[in-house]
Amino acid sequence: MPVVIPPADPAGLPAPAWLLQILLVFTFILHILAMNLLAGGTTIMAISLRKGKDSPFHAELAKRLSKALPVTMSLTITLGIAPLLFVQVLYGQAFYTASVLMAWPWLSVIALVLLAYYGLYLVQFRPDWLGRWVTTIAWLSAIFILLVGLLYTHNATLTLAPEKWATLYAASAAGLHMNWSEPTLVPRYLHFMVAAFAVCGLGIALLGLLARKRGDSWGEEAVRYGARWFIGATLVQLAVGLWFLFSLPGNFMQSFIGGNMVNTLILWLGVVAAVLAMLMVNRSVLAAVLLTVAAVTLMSITRHTLRQMYLSPHLDVNAIPVNPQWAMFAIFAVLLVIGLAVVGWMVWQFYKSGEPQKATTV
Amino acid sequence: MEYPFWDVPLLGGGMLIGIIAILHVFVAHFAIGAGLFLVLTESKARREGDSALLEYLKRHSTFFILVVLVFGAVSGVGIWWTIGLVHPTATSALIHIFVWAWAIEWVFFVVELLAAFIYYYGWNRLDARTHLAVGWIYFAGAWLSLFMINGILTFMLTTGEWTKTHSIVDAFFNPSMLPSLLIRTAVTIALAGLYALITASAEADETLRERVVKYASKWVLVGMTIIPIGGIWYISRIPDQAREISMGGAPVVTLFAAASIAFSAFVFLATLIGPFLFPRRFHVTFAFVIVALGLLTTGVTEWVREAVRKPYIIYDYMYSNAVRTDEVQKVWEQGVLGSAKWALLTEQDKQDPLKVGERVFRFHCQSCHTVNGFNGIKFAVKGWKKDFIDIQLQNLDQLKGYMPPFLGTEEERKALAEWLFSLNNPPQQTAARP
Repeated sequence: MPVVIPPADPAGLPAPAWLLQILLVFTFILHILAMNLLAGGTTIMAISLRKGKDSPFHAELAKRLSKALPVTMSLTITLGIAPLLFVQVLYGQAFYTASVLMAWPWLSVIALVLLAYYGLYLVQFRPDWLGRWVTTIAWLSAIFILLVGLLYTHNATLTLAPEKWATLYAASAAGLHMNWSEPTLVPRYLHFMVAAFAVCGLGIALLGLLARKRGDSWGEEAVRYGARWFIGATLVQLAVGLWFLFSLPGNFMQSFIGGNMVNTLILWLGVVAAVLAMLMVNRSVLAAVLLTVAAVTLMSITRHTLRQMYLSPHLDVNAIPVNPQWAMFAIFAVLLVIGLAVVGWMVWQFYKSGEPQKATTV
Repeated sequence: MEYPFWDVPLLGGGMLIGIIAILHVFVAHFAIGAGLFLVLTESKARREGDSALLEYLKRHSTFFILVVLVFGAVSGVGIWWTIGLVHPTATSALIHIFVWAWAIEWVFFVVELLAAFIYYYGWNRLDARTHLAVGWIYFAGAWLSLFMINGILTFMLTTGEWTKTHSIVDAFFNPSMLPSLLIRTAVTIALAGLYALITASAEADETLRERVVKYASKWVLVGMTIIPIGGIWYISRIPDQAREISMGGAPVVTLFAAASIAFSAFVFLATLIGPFLFPRRFHVTFAFVIVALGLLTTGVTEWVREAVRKPYIIYDYMYSNAVRTDEVQKVWEQGVLGSAKWALLTEQDKQDPLKVGERVFRFHCQSCHTVNGFNGIKFAVKGWKKDFIDIQLQNLDQLKGYMPPFLGTEEERKALAEWLFSLNNPPQQTAARP
């Protein structure tokens, strides 16, 4: 079968490729952090709902998570829009093709997200009405979110495999293909999902820290519990990460273990940041948060480098003609700053107003 | 023809987009109008010290976030998903022409969502002034995101000067952008009232129910009065051919255009006679009937708006089957199979006219037609002789103004005619089987 690559869009790029790549990686980091909190948080909430029958700590954790998760879901979706936009701008040729091949599974992401989202609201607003079903609904939401992650991994890996496309499409145009044959599929998926539990553990520790500051005794245990998730998941991650690294095609792997100094440095600095965060978390949660954000940033750059390696034989973003629209970009940048300031003001007002005088009734 | 084509049986991809898009539009317009409804009504309630009305608004806003933040946001992303799968070439064009416009819309969307959450969770927490300010920020963010998406959406029908200048300013501020913005803003007001009729009619306190029902019905009437004004302006700005299609050029489209007007009139009359004149006797069932009429209006209107764009997906730039107007000459020379790299026929397949015909159909026709489902080609060619099919294909754009010209080679055209004929007249060997 030939390798068929759709041509680049004749409109070209509205800014140099490097700028769009920076925006892509930057907004991806925001999205992935929110996703981590969501995927890890929903699963941990389901676990705590069960344990909460005997443990007041878990009952309280489940309650606090149930309040935070719908907003986290919304942030995950919203922050996902920007990287998906820039992916389509830069790599649309690969992204659309892979998506069409797995059209139905890919479209099911929408239904799964919708169901998981309503499930989260049910758990938050109607736990009494749900009764003993509340744990089941929480687990369903968790499973749907974890499934969405798996579908994303299928899409991302298929996007990077142009040599598979024609064979798959010739076999069927019904859009039911997946990428199960991909050797990096499972380690790549686990790499992202294990990270979700680590980052969410850190999020729980942070919730505990805030509670402790307000003199809430629950906070102390939350910090310890969150740190346990963070350390445990990061230890598992060391193994999963190595598995992922060794599942890569030989020459790509080589480049990350000395073959290319820059790539090697970025990857292993990320590993060091994660290990340091693990060692620091019991002493300073905030230091662990900063180190983890650094680790996620370095890993996201590595992910981008890997994408370039996979796609460079077939398409080159630097060869796409650039028709810069600097005025439009300036309007976007100014509005982004204003928008963030407005959001900051609103969040500040909300935070400042403290605990509600009485709970919002539904 | 640059991307693989996703074969959606029976429904067809266009219908799939339609279903998701109409549901989204119906909720998304409400999302915007409800912002205005909430802040104006909250101001009124606070000014008049009306705590019953304030309590109603709190309940209404729960309904609001469950519908808007969940279904509205997710289905909006759903449209993006679906158009990328069904029309990757056109989606790529819209993404690339409007990159920064999309990015700006995203900023407004982020502000809108955060404001909605803080408005909702802030009812018992923020002081009145700050709460109202957050409400106004929500409405501003929501309306501005409509402002952005409206410019992109109207561009698809009225590309205007852009086809010559390729300037994003011309693309965004295209001829039908302002009238469409007026219509859609009016729709947001009407829908805000329509949804409020549902929550109001479910209120237990009779006097409060009566008051809010009457109040909400005024929103519907005001919105529905502005829509036709915007409508006439809009129709005056769309291409001649699009106007002709809706006024007799294509009977089905004309029928739907008439239905759009009729359903709008029903919504107006039902609201006038029901909740406006007799708010005391208004029942939640009646509220759902009016909402259902509203959904039907939205459905047929958006359908007509899509249908009149034919034969283009982006006017004067790209045909419905993803062939750009500047590529027509090239496709004519190379043929459909020579242009569609994803046809992937083997040398042996290329000898079989039925296989060639089927593949030409997929890449040339299937963006609009299914084989035996919605707009099914099997029924369209029923009873036609092979020669007659071939004549139709030769003069496709002449006979049916809403279809693009047939761009294949003579050999491909004959193969397509052969395959189309075989749909209702299976070849001998199949027919002979016991």
